[in-house]
Amino acid sequence: MLETTPFAASLQEAVGGRMLVHPLECRPFAIAGSPPKLVVSPASIEEAALAAKLVALENESLVVRGAGTKSWRPPAPGDVFAVMDMTRCDGVVAHEPGDLTVTVKAGTKLAHLQSVLSRHGQFFPCDAPFAAQATIGGTLAAGAGGALRLRFGSARDNTLGLRVALSDGTLAYSGSKVVKSVAGYDAYKLFIGSLGTLGVIGEATLKVAPLPAADGLLAAHFRSPRDAAACALDIARSNLFVWAMSMHAAVAAARVGGLPDGKSAKTWLLLVRCGGSPATVRRQIDGAARLCKGRGALDMFEAPPHAVVKLCSRIAELAGGAAYPAGEFIVMKFSALPAHVAELADAALRVWPSAEISAHPALGIAYVHVPLERSSFRSEQLSALWSDLHRRECSVAVLAAPPAISRDLRVPFSEAVPIELQRRMKHALDPRGAFDPGRGAAGL
Amino acid sequence: MDAAFIERLRKIVGRRHVLSELEDLRSYEYDASIDRSLPGAIVFPGSASDVAAVVHACNDRGYPFVARGAGTGLSGGAVAESGALVVATSRLRRILEVDPDNRLAVVEPGVPNAEIGAAARAHALQYIPDPSSMAVCTIGGNIAENSGGLHCLAYGVTANHVLGVEVVTADGDTVWLGGRTVDAPGYDLLGLFIGSEGTLGIVTKAVVRLTPLFEASRTMLGVYDSIEQASRAVSDIIAAGIIPGALEMMDRLTTIAVEESVRAGFPTDAAAILIIEVDGLREGVEETAAAVRAVCERNGAREVRTAQTEEERDRIWRGRKGAFGAMGRYSPTYYVQDGVIPRTKLPEMLREIADIARRHDLRIANVFHAGDGNIHPLIVFDAKKPDEVERAVVAGDEILAACVRHGGSISGEHGIGTEKRDCMTLQFTAADLALMARVKTVFNARNLCNPLKMFPTSRRCGEGARKLAGGELPPALRAAAGPAF
Repeated sequence: MLETTPFAASLQEAVGGRMLVHPLECRPFAIAGSPPKLVVSPASIEEAALAAKLVALENESLVVRGAGTKSWRPPAPGDVFAVMDMTRCDGVVAHEPGDLTVTVKAGTKLAHLQSVLSRHGQFFPCDAPFAAQATIGGTLAAGAGGALRLRFGSARDNTLGLRVALSDGTLAYSGSKVVKSVAGYDAYKLFIGSLGTLGVIGEATLKVAPLPAADGLLAAHFRSPRDAAACALDIARSNLFVWAMSMHAAVAAARVGGLPDGKSAKTWLLLVRCGGSPATVRRQIDGAARLCKGRGALDMFEAPPHAVVKLCSRIAELAGGAAYPAGEFIVMKFSALPAHVAELADAALRVWPSAEISAHPALGIAYVHVPLERSSFRSEQLSALWSDLHRRECSVAVLAAPPAISRDLRVPFSEAVPIELQRRMKHALDPRGAFDPGRGAAGL
Repeated sequence: MDAAFIERLRKIVGRRHVLSELEDLRSYEYDASIDRSLPGAIVFPGSASDVAAVVHACNDRGYPFVARGAGTGLSGGAVAESGALVVATSRLRRILEVDPDNRLAVVEPGVPNAEIGAAARAHALQYIPDPSSMAVCTIGGNIAENSGGLHCLAYGVTANHVLGVEVVTADGDTVWLGGRTVDAPGYDLLGLFIGSEGTLGIVTKAVVRLTPLFEASRTMLGVYDSIEQASRAVSDIIAAGIIPGALEMMDRLTTIAVEESVRAGFPTDAAAILIIEVDGLREGVEETAAAVRAVCERNGAREVRTAQTEEERDRIWRGRKGAFGAMGRYSPTYYVQDGVIPRTKLPEMLREIADIARRHDLRIANVFHAGDGNIHPLIVFDAKKPDEVERAVVAGDEILAACVRHGGSISGEHGIGTEKRDCMTLQFTAADLALMARVKTVFNARNLCNPLKMFPTSRRCGEGARKLAGGELPPALRAAAGPAF
């Protein structure tokens, strides 16, 4: 009877009473199908630190959870002891428009942050998927991002500092609250993309950008991923400085309403997002169109300016599984050299012909969604594909998989990854292994 | 360092590539900061495996070592505290590859920043970070210090332009952090390494990101009769949603000195000038330049001048880049600060600096990256007058304390090194520093790699020490800096 132990009583007290233990109440917080034994919802980073410490001292583990949009990541946990629900720790702490910085609590929804910023003509330049539900803490912990990374850099590049809690109860700030600082180690960067395995992100100070005076979106169909990717590289190498590019197999593009249809299911759609002054956007669109033509675009379409932002937010959901129901798809993210993205897409389609692929070619990232109903997915297929691509410096992460598959899934990684240093880092920051053990990259 | 050790080094890199005579050691005892310390010896490895062998040798003997690029650092990062072995990267200066399709270059650590830019330009690409010392400072040093530059406002600092590094860790292992592609699996050790001031290992190769050249740029000079108006113009430019490529400010004390040495054409009777550069597509540049001019004029600019020729543009930037050097007019020595404040606090901060100068009877010139709030007050002093040195140091500490009070940072781009290590407690709590110390042990548990840098060793910054419990550095934190050898 967990709820009657002294441990449970002190944990409950630590989080101001916001603790669930009833299985029915815990079920909505399941991690990859496994419901936790208890859920704590700290309202502050101080409460989170204390709760993490108590769980660690009990030699138990916990999974930090934002909106739960990325909880299908393999390997599926066996039993989950505690979930730390961070959604109560939310709100904008400080926004100084003139400084282009904002400090938010981790449980703040990305969408809420964007709406607060937009009132001041600004935005956080991170078009990560699950934008409507995802929290800032979860987005950073997952290292999630979208196509805007081409112009604005990654979520890490736009994070200035984090307040974090460790499993020994340490509360520390790392980084700064200003747009530029080199004081001390940027230890906060370790937590971005750590998948919650080092500690709890409690608060983040972010760099924001002014909204552009004008937006534009050019869409062009190509006969093959090779042509679409080659065109994207031409545009990336030009001095047009477009904001973002993504390319999609016809079947993936069809999931977004409002995009033009290709003439055949074999075509690929290249989307070029532009931003800046009206004259700049005109030049970017015209320049990109010329390059598309040069690479044999089958047709071209320019979105009406007022529709661009909405359309782009729907397109962003194609990258990283948001548009694909968990349990029905395996979602993989491949990173490669930009010049190898088309080859990667072709190779993935040879293994899983019914896969739906969306890519950010100029960044060298491709998302492969394999429908389980129409494909047989085996761990060995992934390993074989990876070893084939590995010679070309490719890496892979599986973002979501149903538990039946993810339990035995071995995600290959390069021997060049300094695993020993990674392991030592995990041990230095989370010596008791309290944070989601075994579910970090390479099983950390 | 004993003869047997020197002999071992000679066996690794070749007899010619080890220096241990006193007169040689003297020329490596300082960087561009004010601290100095005589190294034990200087070794010049010719390859990554040489570096690893040297680091192994140091580990075997328990000797500290410090990597050194061009020695242009401004915080003592390359100063060989405790008589450490200097590992100079000057023989590792090949550009191994420029890959225009993937917009990257692979270089050795001793390649000067500007040479990467020159190699990239052949492919209509550029390497963005541009520290003032870019003609000589090396990419290895830039990575260690996470260097900024004049054009980092819109496009980011070194950390935003490095994809991967091959590193010899403090233990002598050779590992890759990051690589040629983005999002390597696991923790972002690359992000941690960049800006770690050479305390986690030595870079032996770097993959840097290249960016297309801009089609056009406009360089403007805004001339102001009051510092207040100039700083308001800075805020208003950002508030108008404009992020120029560069947005720099200089006060009168600086322009007078610059005009005497560089002759950039700056008006010496103006209280402050702004140097603003906008870049991008031709159409956008015209529009943005017009908008910037309007903001400048609205804030009372006496004159807004646009460089009409490439020569005129170069002259303006030569003037800006030569500002530190021009201080010689006032005194042979100056002490440059590198604090950051939220840019909206700029007018207040500049008033405080003037106040601090008055109180300590010192001259302080200001030349800085106004756009990102990174100030560079240059405290002019005469090193021959101990009293003046003391006042300069105290004034510097007060400026940093003010930066932190405004919610800023004690260093925007120069690093902590030896110079500001004791001011770390101004900005960070004991718990914040303890987190850094834990991270350090992962790479550098024996503290042989660039010891006594970045972590506080004493209580010079009085105000900061008070923030720590009991006013004393906890022993665990004192240990983080490393022992004196």
